Amino acid sequence: MKVLVIEDESELQGVIRDALSKEGYLTETAGNFDQALDKIISYEYDCILLDIMLPGGSGLELLSEIKKSNKKQAVIIISAKDSVEDKVSGLDMGADDYLTKPFHLAELNARVKSAIRRQNQHGDHKLHWRNIILDPDNRTVFINQEEISLNRKEFDLLYYFITNPERLINKTSIAEYVWGDYMEQASSLDFVYSQIKNLRKKLTAAGADGDIQSVYGVGYKIS
Amino acid sequence: MQRRSLKNYTLRYLVVAILAIIGVWAAAFYLVVIEEVYDNIDDGLKDSRHRIISEAGSDPEILNTGEFGITQFKITGLPGAHHDTKTQIYNSELYLPQQDDKTSVRILETIFKNGRQYYRLEIYTSTVEEDDLLEDLLIALAALYVALVVSIVMLNHFILRKAWKPFYKILDKLGGYRLGSSRKFDRSDPRIIEFNNLEEALEAMMERNETIYSRQKQFIENASHELQTPLAIAANKLELLMENEQLTEDQLHKIEEVNNTLHRLKRINKSLLTISKIENKQFQTTETICFNVLLTQLLEEYASLVQFKEIRITLEDRGTFEVNMNRDLATVLVSNLLKNAIVHSGKGRLVEISIAPGSFLIKNEGDSPLNTALIFERFHKGGQNEHSTGLGLSIVQSICNLYDNILLKYDFRNGHCFEIIMHKPV
Repeated sequence: MKVLVIEDESELQGVIRDALSKEGYLTETAGNFDQALDKIISYEYDCILLDIMLPGGSGLELLSEIKKSNKKQAVIIISAKDSVEDKVSGLDMGADDYLTKPFHLAELNARVKSAIRRQNQHGDHKLHWRNIILDPDNRTVFINQEEISLNRKEFDLLYYFITNPERLINKTSIAEYVWGDYMEQASSLDFVYSQIKNLRKKLTAAGADGDIQSVYGVGYKIS
Repeated sequence: MQRRSLKNYTLRYLVVAILAIIGVWAAAFYLVVIEEVYDNIDDGLKDSRHRIISEAGSDPEILNTGEFGITQFKITGLPGAHHDTKTQIYNSELYLPQQDDKTSVRILETIFKNGRQYYRLEIYTSTVEEDDLLEDLLIALAALYVALVVSIVMLNHFILRKAWKPFYKILDKLGGYRLGSSRKFDRSDPRIIEFNNLEEALEAMMERNETIYSRQKQFIENASHELQTPLAIAANKLELLMENEQLTEDQLHKIEEVNNTLHRLKRINKSLLTISKIENKQFQTTETICFNVLLTQLLEEYASLVQFKEIRITLEDRGTFEVNMNRDLATVLVSNLLKNAIVHSGKGRLVEISIAPGSFLIKNEGDSPLNTALIFERFHKGGQNEHSTGLGLSIVQSICNLYDNILLKYDFRNGHCFEIIMHKPV
């Protein structure tokens, strides 16, 4: 799987590259408009992370270039601009997702994974991890081929863990991903704990081959 | 301090001033006229004296006029050999049988010599007209005064109204002026130089303020924007670091603490950006939002949190509350209010929500009223929660300020009631 990171901030570029490499992606980077255009034309990627504001041109121009090329590649816009217009115009122009800086790396992972999965039109959209199968389209979960019932938030939670397997995800990241901006206080972390406890109970009861573990109280990890 | 309108203010001084001027003028005029009148009378008396004395020379019969009769003079013979032939004129009162009353008179008294004999001659002339004159004068002056005041009131009224018309127009426009509304101050170019100058000065001032204001807003927005990337880098690097298997528990906790602080910074920054965007009117699109539907969706979002905190929520639905506004802002508005109520409710507390046409109310239990001057202030915190950004209610208020058709109210009625009401534009 090849991912192109188009981001002018070299530090951020580095962090993203490291995070994606850990997930086993082959990561290439471009720091400005011309470099990016060059790579887009010359190669094919599974996913392109695209910053809107670039030295030498707009990321949206690159986006239309990508769409013209007719290659099957997912595009996720990463931007510091959290304006509705930007989001709408980006998505209208064919971007698959829009991620606002600052974001959690685990969230980036989840987004990249689901963007690539959606891109793969004929393939299996389901996520497999050990004996757990997640079907994001129908929002169903199977363990040992048996469907288990999860509520919406529990599903999102499990999805987040499955897309970041064996990785430590910190509590604020989980709270933000699943409950978004609604969570803003200290008690939210106890709340996350209680929600994960519920999910764990259901997974264990269904005989899942793997468990969500607390890591020193700072976060959780599925393994 | 009692305040008066410009018209009454000037009028008050004018009326007093005119009264004083007319009073002084009347006194002076009276003195001059009286002087002239006496001068005239005295001339007449002197003329009579002259005629009577010369007449007495040729007709001694006249010397026997011992009483004031129809002749208006009397002559009294004086014994003695020598008398000063001096003349004096004075005012006196005299009983006149024809009028059967005392009357004011001016008397000329002189002593003259006819042959060897000295006589005293007294001539009088009635001065009753003088009082009439004074009376007439006073009446005339009073009439003049009234006429002057009335015409000044009228003139004042019309002239001031006409002259100050541009001023009231400017005042009206200023009243409707909002900083940052980007609505230009339209000049009416009055013909009066002072008002024209006023308009110019106002326009310049507004332009200056607008520039400063928009620069400041721009600065906050840019600063928040510029902070996003470094924040992202720092947070993401920490996340990568946390995945390092060799870290001890203690180190991991330290990193987590830094991470939490960074997270708080991110949230504050994000909230500031949101406020700044609301105030910069970057949420343009509007649609009819049904708060009932929105609330149901959000309650679902919060359901597990509510359950976790063991908060009871009651919903009283008495009709649909619909507002024409931006969908994202409506969501932020309702969720911030809901979040506020949930966050500030302890275990087992009650949150009451009621929706009716034109009113949306969220009430959470509380013991004492909040300081209304502070609750919507940015960065004001109730004290107990160090994790709150202190911006949630500020955002709510910014949103309500953005729209003319809704109004945010807080009161304390055995609990904290935050209410959004439909505001009929006037």
